[in-house]
Amino acid sequence: MKHLIYLLAFFSLNLVAQSKYITKTGVVNFEASVASFEEVKAMNQSVTAIIETKSGAFAALVLVKGFRFKNALMEEHFNENYAESDQFPKATFKGNLEDFSIDKLSATSIFKMNGSLTFHGKTKKLESIPLKLSREGDFINVSGSFLLNTSDFDIKIPKVVKDKVSETVEVSLNFKLKKT
Amino acid sequence: MRNLLILLLFSSLVTNSQNDLLTEIDTDSTGTEYATAAFKGLKIVNFESTKLVAKKELQFIVSHRFGSIKNGINTFFGLDEAVTRLNFVLGVTDGLNVGVSRSSYLKVYDVSLKYRLLRQEENGFPFTIVGYNSILINTALDKENLPLLEFKHRLGYTAQILISRKVNTDLSLELAPTFFHDNYVVVDAQDNSQFALGFGGRYKLSTRWSLNADYGWHLNRASNSPFKNPLSIGVDLETGGHVFQMHFTNAQPMDANGFLGQGTGDWSDGDIYFGFNLSRQF
Repeated sequence: MKHLIYLLAFFSLNLVAQSKYITKTGVVNFEASVASFEEVKAMNQSVTAIIETKSGAFAALVLVKGFRFKNALMEEHFNENYAESDQFPKATFKGNLEDFSIDKLSATSIFKMNGSLTFHGKTKKLESIPLKLSREGDFINVSGSFLLNTSDFDIKIPKVVKDKVSETVEVSLNFKLKKT
Repeated sequence: MRNLLILLLFSSLVTNSQNDLLTEIDTDSTGTEYATAAFKGLKIVNFESTKLVAKKELQFIVSHRFGSIKNGINTFFGLDEAVTRLNFVLGVTDGLNVGVSRSSYLKVYDVSLKYRLLRQEENGFPFTIVGYNSILINTALDKENLPLLEFKHRLGYTAQILISRKVNTDLSLELAPTFFHDNYVVVDAQDNSQFALGFGGRYKLSTRWSLNADYGWHLNRASNSPFKNPLSIGVDLETGGHVFQMHFTNAQPMDANGFLGQGTGDWSDGDIYFGFNLSRQF
């Protein structure tokens, strides 16, 4: 009996461990450029993300100060005036991949993701975002892109720069998650 | 033992089903985080702030100080007597800036070096410390009035340590111990080598507006000196690549030796100057 419980205990721990894929170096880009003006885009290369393969649950965490722009002033303005990253240091996503199954990952497949994105203290529901997933040995690759509106996150673009910064922001992501 | 194991088993199953994936990957930092943007402008008002121009970027700053507003409409509140300073600052690296300027006040040229020694860290070192040195050349001194004038008399030097702390998102404070030396001083009793302590701060009113003030406490001013310690109060407005700084001050010169050593205005008489610094990033 004792051994059986040992076994069960380990088995259950094992199950937990084996069904998760994690990355700490995921990439998230966003771009709010307006054609013929200086490009406004940034990249964050230290995004943490996790997939729980049994349920298809997916979560990601972005430290807002980790976004790098092409110049320091833009980066400062982003943190100080738009994202207010002192007050709201994290952006998070929590959701689910529809009808996810690890067995479907033999070839590149597209899954729809539903969930909620929190940024700048506001949460927005995202529905049916198509993500490309593929499996390579111990890794799962996830990539995709979607559009967000600054108004959904209570980010105001002042009149003087309205021509130069788009209110529609394209977000793209690229994660390579490793089996834990 | 057995109960413990059963407990473990259950707790692991329970956490398995309830655990929020997000909390598993929650992290606060990816390494040392520096406090950023303690000040918006390179200057608080008259004093240098601890902000530097980033690497390979060039900032152009036009500053004006109008004449004293005391004379009212007669000089259009000082507009007739404005002085201008043009200043270019280049970021050699993120921590080293070189600047050149020309001011119409006493036709002063200056060359400056600004370098960051330490940065304020989140949950770490509490201050940003920046050094500032400049050499000034006063080209307005006239040989006809000062027959013994040599080139060296035109020179002045400034050495400053700027110590700032971003106390919270809105409030930043700075202390600026300053040594400056003028090879020629107007008041005979005045030591050529002078010491001052600068105090400055900014308070953010909104994401784009802030209230700024600085004060220079001269520590060895000659007793018969007509000059006053500079007190300046103003606002910063930031719009994209520009920072507008608008202020009132009782010192018309804009370089450290000038505003610390030769400010003539007096707040108690209403003898103050309106001015602005306008910067543009390239």
